[in-house]
Amino acid sequence: MLFNSVEFFVFLPLAFVLYWLLIPQKAVYQNIVILVASYFFYAWWDWRFLSLIIVSTVIDFVAGRYIHSSDKALRKKVFMWMSVATNLGILGFFKYFNFFIESWRDAWLLLGVEMDVNTLQIILPLGISFYTFQSMSYTLDIYNGKLKPSGSLLDFAAYVAFFPQLVAGPIERAGRLLPQISELKKFDYQQAVEGLRLILWGFFKKVVIADTLSIYTQTIFGDPEQFQGTVLLLGSFYFAIQIYTDFSGYSDIAIGTAKLFGVELMSNFKFPYFTRNISEYWKRWHISLTSWLNDYVYLPMAIRFRYWGRFGICLAIFLTFLISGLWHGAGWHFVVWGGIHGLLYIPLVYQRKVVSISGAQQDVTFRFVDILKMILTFTLVSFSLVFFRAQSMEAAFDYFYYMFTGPLIPTARLQPLIYMVAMLVLDFFFRKDERNIFSVFKHRWARYAVYLILFFAVLNAFSVEAEQQFIYFQF
Amino acid sequence: MDKENILKDIETIFRSVLNKDSISLAFDSSANDVEGWDSITHIMLVVEIEKKFKVRFKAREIQGWQTIGDIVNSLAK
Repeated sequence: MLFNSVEFFVFLPLAFVLYWLLIPQKAVYQNIVILVASYFFYAWWDWRFLSLIIVSTVIDFVAGRYIHSSDKALRKKVFMWMSVATNLGILGFFKYFNFFIESWRDAWLLLGVEMDVNTLQIILPLGISFYTFQSMSYTLDIYNGKLKPSGSLLDFAAYVAFFPQLVAGPIERAGRLLPQISELKKFDYQQAVEGLRLILWGFFKKVVIADTLSIYTQTIFGDPEQFQGTVLLLGSFYFAIQIYTDFSGYSDIAIGTAKLFGVELMSNFKFPYFTRNISEYWKRWHISLTSWLNDYVYLPMAIRFRYWGRFGICLAIFLTFLISGLWHGAGWHFVVWGGIHGLLYIPLVYQRKVVSISGAQQDVTFRFVDILKMILTFTLVSFSLVFFRAQSMEAAFDYFYYMFTGPLIPTARLQPLIYMVAMLVLDFFFRKDERNIFSVFKHRWARYAVYLILFFAVLNAFSVEAEQQFIYFQF
Repeated sequence: MDKENILKDIETIFRSVLNKDSISLAFDSSANDVEGWDSITHIMLVVEIEKKFKVRFKAREIQGWQTIGDIVNSLAK
């Protein structure tokens, strides 16, 4: 089920009423509703792939218990690897080996279920990169002694499948989300209102900004030869704003929906385009993935490379970003995108600046130098995203070729500039608090007016355009 | 060596690696409380602590640390 679909607008109120009004208010009943609603939410897309979530859930639940209870280091290791192999196996099988997808079809054929191969080859199991990472972090944290295993399979299953963040994150850690799931959720009017605000804002970003920009980026990236160099330059900026509004809009809807069910998810974006270098950028962009990669990919490598000085740190960062690229998609252009980000860290590490992949964000100041650095960072990120957006390495190189050889004077495709600038201006004013952006409007009636404007903008955009998938659903 | 002294030594290392004399550590200090203690300086800190105490930690041990107290406990063992 997509957030921006009619079904979701029926599903959400029903789940809400069931959750708060129709069942006894006990954690166990609440979690049954969460689990059933989440599985229904997922099954609406394709019920057969639900089996993968269940396999991942059960294996990790069992592995977690054995890792904790066994006193031999080797046994702990065996069960940790069992969990990692299961999750990475699921991910590798379905995401990286098209060939194996046909075996999957054949397996189901044995059970008498026929599948349409064409759709299968295009569509990956929805959210597979997200829930496998979330589930796996649980066993890894137990292995590293950071977490005690959950006593309830129901709670753990609800944690893995929690529908607001099941298909595209934020990727939550068990240490943060599981305790919230396990205890009784109490309805809080303020929290629910905050949730609705975030949902409205998320829809505005997705349906009004991102989907409008996508019409332009599709044309520009579809046939770069047709356009002037400056249009291609702008096109890369448009895509940078598009993917930001698309994914952060999705995250806002997810965080807002969770609030409606009395659960707080982590922030996933904190105004990433107001940053002065790549390290600051990654502390504010897709925070849940970055901190995941930091804990389970970068740190284990960096610890092993620790006697190699700065070179070891750079190597660990670079490899981490290559893996991040691959996580986003099985294509070399994604790996190159990741590699560019890894390389951009090297000068920072050698300059002895305080840098990191993930961690607390510093406050950003707006001196002249800072603004220049922000423009530079935004441009570098936009250029790297050309590799991300292009369908292949060749297409990316073509794009750059025409960007730097095409005529300079733009004649068309300037309209999206309005959306791009509007978004950056809004973010500038909202950047104080990503969870409570509307607090800049001090007066209640001013807020109501803004809500109305946003609401009708979303409604209007909905009526003109067909629903568009979120970009991050394909990962 | 008792834990209070270990804490003092770690504090000295933090001050020199992070280049900030105002840092003061407690057993429950975590990366959130200490400015500049992040995923990259963490590695440098580990190396300096190993040098000072003449130990070599296991990778898994390092990954399990969440607070300064955890580091002290690893050293006091």
